[in-house]
Amino acid sequence: MKHEALLWLLILVPAATGALALRLRSVRTILNVMCAGVGITVALGWYVAGKVLVSGPVSAGAEWLYLDALSAYNLGILLLIFGLSSAYASVYFRAELREGHLTLKQARLFGSLWCGALAAMTLVFVSNNLGIMWVGIEATTLLTGFLICVHVTGESLEAMWKYILICSVGVAFAFMGTLLVCASTHGLGLRAPEVLLWTTLRAHAALLNPGCLKAAFIFLLVGYGTKAGLAPMHNWLPDAHSQAPAPVSALFSGFMLNTALYCVMRYVPIVEAGTGNTGWGLRLLTGFGLLSILVAAAFILFQHDLKRLLAYHSVEHIGIITLGVGLGGLGTFAALFHTLNHSLCKTLAFFAAGRLGQMFGTHDMRKLAGTMRAAPVWGMGLFGSLLALIGVAPFALFMSELQILKAAMDKGAILALVFFLLGAGVVFVGALGHAIPLAWGKTASAVRPTRAGTLETLLVVLPLVLLLVLGMWMPGPLQTALNAAADVIRHAGPALAGSPGGVMP
Amino acid sequence: MGTNLILVLVVLTNLKLLASSRLGASIRVVAAQGMVLGLLPVLAHVHELSLHFAAMALGTIALKGVVFPWLLFRALREAEVTREVEPYVGYISSILVGLMALAASFWLGGRLPVTTTGVSSLLVPSALFSILAGLFLIVARKRAVNQVLGFLVLENGIYTFGVGVVAETPFLVELGVLLDAFVAVFVMGIAVYHINREFDHIETDRLDRLKG
Repeated sequence: MKHEALLWLLILVPAATGALALRLRSVRTILNVMCAGVGITVALGWYVAGKVLVSGPVSAGAEWLYLDALSAYNLGILLLIFGLSSAYASVYFRAELREGHLTLKQARLFGSLWCGALAAMTLVFVSNNLGIMWVGIEATTLLTGFLICVHVTGESLEAMWKYILICSVGVAFAFMGTLLVCASTHGLGLRAPEVLLWTTLRAHAALLNPGCLKAAFIFLLVGYGTKAGLAPMHNWLPDAHSQAPAPVSALFSGFMLNTALYCVMRYVPIVEAGTGNTGWGLRLLTGFGLLSILVAAAFILFQHDLKRLLAYHSVEHIGIITLGVGLGGLGTFAALFHTLNHSLCKTLAFFAAGRLGQMFGTHDMRKLAGTMRAAPVWGMGLFGSLLALIGVAPFALFMSELQILKAAMDKGAILALVFFLLGAGVVFVGALGHAIPLAWGKTASAVRPTRAGTLETLLVVLPLVLLLVLGMWMPGPLQTALNAAADVIRHAGPALAGSPGGVMP
Repeated sequence: MGTNLILVLVVLTNLKLLASSRLGASIRVVAAQGMVLGLLPVLAHVHELSLHFAAMALGTIALKGVVFPWLLFRALREAEVTREVEPYVGYISSILVGLMALAASFWLGGRLPVTTTGVSSLLVPSALFSILAGLFLIVARKRAVNQVLGFLVLENGIYTFGVGVVAETPFLVELGVLLDAFVAVFVMGIAVYHINREFDHIETDRLDRLKG
């Protein structure tokens, strides 16, 4: 009974905090209340996720809310990123407040939408009903739209318009896919309330109409793929990421994309079992993943704006995760591990880009040079995260990419292997060419060296240390969690997904 | 019989939208389409009429027929621009594209393995046609308001499909979907207003500063 109530609280606490933020009268109070609300949600969420990973799925509300290993793992990362980003947001906006760039109205807008977005994303992870999951994704689009233009400028409006329109259309396609999944259950005699429940569909997956299911998966992949930033539906992403305030970019890149990709992962076992385990859906995923890696690699070479560069890195890494899921086996495990690594690394990169942007007054990499001298802490954060992003050992991203390569070898997918290495190679060279001047280039004389506070130092050191440690040593509990989560995706066939976690690789 | 009439009306309103040169007229056409579609669940399931379908019909008519047009007219009034549609693709070509899309919808509708449980054989093709027409309106018209209309037509197509093919969606899900559509149009309305204030126009072809 206790855990069921906790699932509801995970949605209600951030929603209530968001509503409260609209009523407060000072910017500082808003930032403090926001951090407190997010903090409580993080504590609750981690507790429930831990319970689920140890002792199996939890459900509530007549099975409409459901948390299994896959969603618990993703929820855990979401909350980690959200906690870090909220702490950073309070640093970032306090700096803006000192410079007089932030009004009370903007702070209220930010505080309420920020917490609202958290509520919508947790709704995606805890809902068992695929229709409600869709509602959550669409709600994140609409709530985060205005976060892009907290500061109203021509560019930010343009980015917001593209984001809302492209993502709404994309997500509408995903709804069409959801309806087609619903249509594929015709003739099974399922009752109305349970027809869209993931657990029901998973149990009956082998009996679904394969034709309908294939059409559905194409719509779902294109729809949720748009929101996840898979090429060629990624056009909104660089604009939105570059125009949003840094904490919002960190959240977009660090976890909103993964939330959409999670929805695709949810459907993978159903589609695989429904189409007779032929690997049809997995091949589609592999194709989209490789295309994203290659497209991103081409654009990374010619970027001048730091945040756009990071945005294309997101396209690349979402591609890598999709490729991993598409390869299956060890690849699924590595893809989920990569999700954690990429989220940590990318949030740090956007944190650094945001603070350095505030100090230098630009995100143009031709002017943003020599950051190591001007702001040692954030300069190191940026350089370290860029190195990790391009896959330098011994950071954890190197390990997960290596595992994906191994999965490709195991499967004999030579073509995928070649394209992946090609893309990663281009990204390595291109991004390193940007990273070195960023760190040690000639600084413009107008920039004064700035010291970072304790919290800021912690925000840089913590993710970097985590990435280093995870690169060299994987803790036992994490491995168990990853295996349990990967098994939710991998285990096709009629076996029910309700089995407890902790299955061996 | 009634359902067939509605579906034919949906197809005709889509064609009318493709040829329409005035923004105000387009908003009214989309409103009419929304109202007609509101009746679809009642007529399609006339033998098993329940509170569920009645509530859904009322909600849809109120939202798509009254609230959305009101929001869009407000955005248009505040934008105070000329009321031309300003297409990238001319009206005659648009109609031709529309007719091709209609043919494609009938071909595809015949191949899609879904059962419409005795509603109407026109249902899947007209739903697909609305989706394609909506997409075309989004990419082929400059005005931000017109792109919102395209999105609504697309949404209407998916709604049509949902009513005919998946009668058993739970009420709560439908409510959520309707709410999302409402917020989407609301948000887009505000965006149109801001874009107008910032740029003194609502033509999306001049939203071109972000590239590469």
